[in-house]
Amino acid sequence: MRANLFSPRVLTAVGALFFICTPLFAARTDAPDWMHAVVSVPLPAHDEKDNAILLYGEDNLSVVSREKFRTTVRRAYKILRPEGREYGVVAIPFDSLNSKVTSIHAWCIPATGKDFEVTDKDAVETSFLKGEGGMLITDERIKGLPIPAAEPGNIVGYEYVIEQRPLVMQDVWEFQDTIPVREAHYSLTLPAGWEYKDAWVNYPGGKARDAGGGVWQWSVGDVKAIRKEEDMPPWRGIAGQMVATLYPPGGSSADALQTWNELGGWYNALTTHRRDPSVEIRQEVNSLTASAPTTLAKMQSVAAFVQRDIRYVAIELGIGGWQPHPAADVFAHRYGDCKDKATLLQSMLKEIGVDSYYVIINADRGSVTPETPAYVGAFDHAIVAIKLPEDLKDRSLIATIKHPQLGTLLFFDPTNEKIPFGEIGGYLQANYGMLVTPGGGELVKLPQQPSDLSGIQRNGKLTLTISGDLQGNVEEVRVGDRAAGSRELYTTTEKSSDRIKPVENLLADSLSMFHITYATVSNPEDPAMPFIWNYSFQAANYAKYAGNLLLVRPRVLGSKAWGILETPEPRRYPIEFDGPVLDTDNFEIALPPNYVVDDLPPAVDADFGFASYHSKTEISGNVLHYHRAFEVKELSVPVSKADQLKKFYRIIASDERNTAVLKLVTP
Amino acid sequence: MSIYRSLYISLYLLVMCILVCALCPQAASASAATATFRPVSPEELQMTSEPGAPGASAIILYHEVKRDDTGSTAHEDEYYRIKILTEEGRKYGDIEIHFDKALETVTNIHARTIKPDGSIVDFDGKVFTKSVVKAKGVKYLAKTFTLPAVTSGCVIEYYYTTDLSDHWIIDSRWIISDELFTKAGDFSLKPYQNNSYNNYHVRWIWQNMPEGTIPAKEGPDGIIRLHVSNVPAFTTEDMMPPENELKGRVDFIYSSDIPEDNPTRFWTGVGKKLTGQVEGFVGKPKSLESVVAGIVSPKDPPEVKLQKIYARVQQLRNTSYEVRKTDEEEKRDKEKDPTSAEEVWKRGYGNGRDLTWLYLALVRAAGFEAKGIMAAERADYFFNPDLMQDDRLRANLVVIKLNGKNIYCDPGAAFTPYGLLPWQETGIQGILLDKKDPTWVPTLVPTADMSRTERHAALTLSETGDLEGNLTVNFSGMEAARLRVEQRNSDDTERKKVLEDTVKQFTPAASEVKLTNQPEWKNSALPLVAEFSFKVPGWASQAGRHVLLPAGLFGAPEKHMFDHAERVHPIYVEYPYTEADDIEIQLPAGWKISSLPPGWNDTGKVVTYTLAAKDENGKLHLNRTVTVNFIFMDTKYYGALRRYFQQIKTTDDQQVVVDPSAASAAN
Repeated sequence: MRANLFSPRVLTAVGALFFICTPLFAARTDAPDWMHAVVSVPLPAHDEKDNAILLYGEDNLSVVSREKFRTTVRRAYKILRPEGREYGVVAIPFDSLNSKVTSIHAWCIPATGKDFEVTDKDAVETSFLKGEGGMLITDERIKGLPIPAAEPGNIVGYEYVIEQRPLVMQDVWEFQDTIPVREAHYSLTLPAGWEYKDAWVNYPGGKARDAGGGVWQWSVGDVKAIRKEEDMPPWRGIAGQMVATLYPPGGSSADALQTWNELGGWYNALTTHRRDPSVEIRQEVNSLTASAPTTLAKMQSVAAFVQRDIRYVAIELGIGGWQPHPAADVFAHRYGDCKDKATLLQSMLKEIGVDSYYVIINADRGSVTPETPAYVGAFDHAIVAIKLPEDLKDRSLIATIKHPQLGTLLFFDPTNEKIPFGEIGGYLQANYGMLVTPGGGELVKLPQQPSDLSGIQRNGKLTLTISGDLQGNVEEVRVGDRAAGSRELYTTTEKSSDRIKPVENLLADSLSMFHITYATVSNPEDPAMPFIWNYSFQAANYAKYAGNLLLVRPRVLGSKAWGILETPEPRRYPIEFDGPVLDTDNFEIALPPNYVVDDLPPAVDADFGFASYHSKTEISGNVLHYHRAFEVKELSVPVSKADQLKKFYRIIASDERNTAVLKLVTP
Repeated sequence: MSIYRSLYISLYLLVMCILVCALCPQAASASAATATFRPVSPEELQMTSEPGAPGASAIILYHEVKRDDTGSTAHEDEYYRIKILTEEGRKYGDIEIHFDKALETVTNIHARTIKPDGSIVDFDGKVFTKSVVKAKGVKYLAKTFTLPAVTSGCVIEYYYTTDLSDHWIIDSRWIISDELFTKAGDFSLKPYQNNSYNNYHVRWIWQNMPEGTIPAKEGPDGIIRLHVSNVPAFTTEDMMPPENELKGRVDFIYSSDIPEDNPTRFWTGVGKKLTGQVEGFVGKPKSLESVVAGIVSPKDPPEVKLQKIYARVQQLRNTSYEVRKTDEEEKRDKEKDPTSAEEVWKRGYGNGRDLTWLYLALVRAAGFEAKGIMAAERADYFFNPDLMQDDRLRANLVVIKLNGKNIYCDPGAAFTPYGLLPWQETGIQGILLDKKDPTWVPTLVPTADMSRTERHAALTLSETGDLEGNLTVNFSGMEAARLRVEQRNSDDTERKKVLEDTVKQFTPAASEVKLTNQPEWKNSALPLVAEFSFKVPGWASQAGRHVLLPAGLFGAPEKHMFDHAERVHPIYVEYPYTEADDIEIQLPAGWKISSLPPGWNDTGKVVTYTLAAKDENGKLHLNRTVTVNFIFMDTKYYGALRRYFQQIKTTDDQQVVVDPSAASAAN
């Protein structure tokens, strides 16, 4: 239903908007009163590393109709440091098909001198170039406007209005920033008969104040900055936000989404008939599976086809950001984005009698948690959950969960060309996604795979000469994410002579002087097989003489030590690992004649629960054996255990520097 | 939000760069071009690799550029045929053609995919017009599309026409080197034809043509043509000369002057013109003599006078190093460019160029014989006078004759110490400005001792192997200037972080670093001295009853230099430099040094290295130097250079053996 422009509720909304926007249309060059009002306010707690402070923030959403939302945004920042100059650029992301930035004004109140003002005539509109943001064609744009004199001590601010046709009846207020927030306000102006529900994310927000006339207001104050740390949880997983879900008159509707079930229902409706197979899809499935003897083999064939033969190309316009292209188009063009690939795979699986479902997920684990309210903007990726036939059991099918109604579900990401069917990458493990079924949606936790499914088994047989040179052969068997990473490097390298570079980098990390004499790769492209490097090298002067002693580092290659926590400031946020991992090294070093062990490094056994490290150096005859195992068992280490993790890495660093001492004996 | 802000800034910069093109207003006439796909050969369809590009994911089979500047609408037809060799190469099926709407439009786009079996899939999809950057007076667009059915083994091809705007003649260029290997390419230009109203001439310059290529030449029909074959894919490497210098290219330049084909005469003319401009700006104002009198004392030796004037000029506000102002700020400032050196002095500020000419005026007023030099920096190109590109002469400096020696100065290059030049202006040729006889002169060739990083550490080793104490780092010459320029607009907090991070990068292990003094950031006459408290946890390793300490505590900068065995491009450093370490380590009471590494002393080469370890009554004293004394080194010396750096790393890895048992025995 389109709103009557003269209906009382629209007039109310327009009136409210006029009130809100009045400063926009007043002719003047001075900054508006709401900016001047915060010039002298006391600043919230901050330190010398805070680049700026958000003195005042205001997001006012006015619902004009189901087809039109109008949002007015105001910000006023006090720039504290030169690095805070970045707040002197207004950057407004918008979708050019469904939204329009109708006005922008920005001001600077210098510490001395007259105010500055700039308007949309000075703005620059940009869009993503090919490959940026993973997209080829998109309607996403950014409108930018530089603010004059954005210098420390000055106050910059802006006000813009954006009108949009909403895809869903939801709005997200993101009030936390990388700088302290003094005060921020959100208001919702609803036409008569509309209702809302609010849900806070990562913040203990309060209730709305009813300002009358269909206006509700929320406020937060003294919101702490989120200072970026290496390998911290994703922004959405820690930043304070509020999700407002809106209900038009007449009760719940298909686009008013409060629960995961409703959100799943919306997505299911959006994808209706998208999975319908074409004649050509049926023919391809028949061709692909004709010689496959089992259902599993058929599933593997169609999965491999979609994984590798459908080129990743993202064309996302309007609702196309969420709605996949029809499977028939994806198949015909042989390209598509993640949801297109998921759609075609489901279509093909259906042809072999296997049911499957969309799983809408965020590729940054931790963005969505069980506490996250249902909102569509939480996700950025689509994969598939395959309902395994009851009689199908196979050791290769790892990434499964038992669903109470649907039975065993296998998760698979057809966009990732480097992970074998049956497994998922570390970014998806223990992650939460929305399972979309004909009955609606639900948040499900994806499985965490055993750590031995991702790792490097490195075995070296080496010989130490009397002059201290080390030579021999090493085999590295890489599986899981470790294999995927190596495959990515290998296949994206444009010169065959450059493909050795990862091995050169590895050796250079640990050996000061080396020469690779031989190197081969096995299974560089087949994700179902381990990626194997086999190489031989010579390292001159590996062992060092010290008087009559010969010093040998038994840990020949590879480093697990990490200085992430060697910072002067205490850690604020958990440390996130990419995925579970088990790496093992075994080196056998044949010693030169007449040399015996004088001292060996002590064994190390460190198990902190979230990760463990064990190493041992032994002598057997004239062969020095070094074995170590490094395992990541939990994917997130809480701040309370940061000191343990720091200690863990220091133990590893120390072990990696340890040296065996040999001495010459007279025969 | 910050991601969008960065994107906006990067795109803003991109468009500003792209819009820098030479334009000559002029009437023109044009004709439309017609093009068709060329027949594809069986060999092209069947090929699976290219011997000239082993491992390539795709190659350009044919690239054609046909430019016609003769008609009323000048236009350029471009044709690409690309062979996809691997799945990775499918990405070349995504096409994005950029253009500036004010000057050109892209039309007549045709594309197709030829499958390995020879069947053809015509592109019939939509060509999207992407607004890459839209701003006041600027509309930079891209035609974007993706080809269907792109698989490994197929051939993709497309062509299009760029219609150039009426009334303009636009300089053009042929970039021969592509990211892909080019099997064959044909380039042609039909130059603008003069009429009774206009008289424009085109000349062209070229560089790095593939071996055996006949340079572009004009045929009897007036068309300039070039054929190339087997052009290697362009690759990038660390420490390589500027990319522009290495790529094969032909540049066409239209001008209304009669082209001068004799470089000597050309530069004589340019030199005289520049001399007139510079002398007009510098002048001989009497007022500057009294200014000089206020800066120097008559008793000062001549070089001290020069230094004092240099320091005084560098104290003036240098607008070239300030944060770029917005249009709005510039409008308010209403600043006009100064017309003379005298005016610069009166104002008390100027841009870098103004300040350097002010220095020239002041030293002349002090009675010195001094001249101006205009030079082309080596940051982006290596200047070749034979190419007669006077627009490259963008750097200005001053040469003073003193006691038969030339002293080069550029005080407008902020933070550059007296006696040095910014690295971009060193080791190049500049035109010595003279009314009668402008000549080419070499600028300063820096040596390694002019730019030093000296580290003095007084540390204590704990019984647990931690190294802790004070570290002082002296940055001088270009090392100090680089830091000062980079941090000129930062605050103390950021500078502290930068210095601490710099020190952390010196050490090949995780370290705790805290700046403890306030370094001098402004005065280029002084080295930048930074003092730190410094700790490396677990630096010493245990080997039974021995404790081992690596000799190269600050060897990390050399650790990953030249890791790879193969090198394509010459090695290029911005400026020669020296690292010098003087480290004292106090051992725990009773501990004895049982073995010292033999050390290394190798001087007199373009790269030198020394290491000496001494036992000074229970104190370990380490001295280490590395000098890199070249700017440019041919690829053929890469192997020797790599071996040398491997030797440095090997020597750094030597261990000092300490025996704590002496203390235990005493206990």
